[in-house]
Amino acid sequence: MCHRSVGLVQGVIEASGIPTVTISMRPDVTYGVRVPRAAYARFPHGNPFGEPHHPEQHHLVFEALLQLLEKATEPTFVELPFRWRRWNQWL
Amino acid sequence: MRPIPLEPIDSTGLQQKFDDWIGFVERSHHGSNPRINSGEAFTELKKPLAESRVALVTTAGAHLDSQEPFHVETVAGDPTHRVLPDDLDPSRLRFTHTHYDTSPAEQDPNCVFPIDRLHELVELGRIGEASPVHIGMMGFNPDPGPIQDDLAPRVAGILADAEVDVAIMVPG
Repeated sequence: MCHRSVGLVQGVIEASGIPTVTISMRPDVTYGVRVPRAAYARFPHGNPFGEPHHPEQHHLVFEALLQLLEKATEPTFVELPFRWRRWNQWL
Repeated sequence: MRPIPLEPIDSTGLQQKFDDWIGFVERSHHGSNPRINSGEAFTELKKPLAESRVALVTTAGAHLDSQEPFHVETVAGDPTHRVLPDDLDPSRLRFTHTHYDTSPAEQDPNCVFPIDRLHELVELGRIGEASPVHIGMMGFNPDPGPIQDDLAPRVAGILADAEVDVAIMVPG
């Protein structure tokens, strides 16, 4: 329900003229609510940016969101290439 | 940082899963209804991120220890917000939410509210500046009506007043 709530708020903020992007751990809810920009992380609930005290991991997720903001020219939903506890394997 | 591969999600089955979930929510919570966004809103970046003012907006139940905790004992949810000043002391953040495991956030708020990461990105010049205010909400709200009609416009107004250029949305 967290994902629906944040998605509904996102829709209104975006419509007000402020670009938005969301991280999501529930792709079905984020997809169904329809948001302008979303990135699916296969992470547990409660850990959208990763594990506690793992700034390098948080920065990777944050950077992915920023790159999505820079790249998307229409409503876009992507999947992040990171995996929980193997988050840096793609590097 | 080099480009991160961002592939479109495989959306097969997602709509059906969403419809099933909405059905479950409607059956199990009084006052629920299937509201969604129009899906048409899309606002282009107005300036480079290195010149943009960025806010964090989370439904992970974030508030300061000096602020009223979110009401998590009611079946109706709590469609209110807390304004989180950018210069807050992260050790005073609390996470009041009973529908996800808040223990990672309690160990390190940056898991769901990456305020230190935001400041580091400003230091690095990757983004222009942090918004003077961020927004904490609690996402357990069976009825999406008050979210869409009251809470979201209030939050959008706060961000507009703070002259925010970009909002980063974070569920719990």
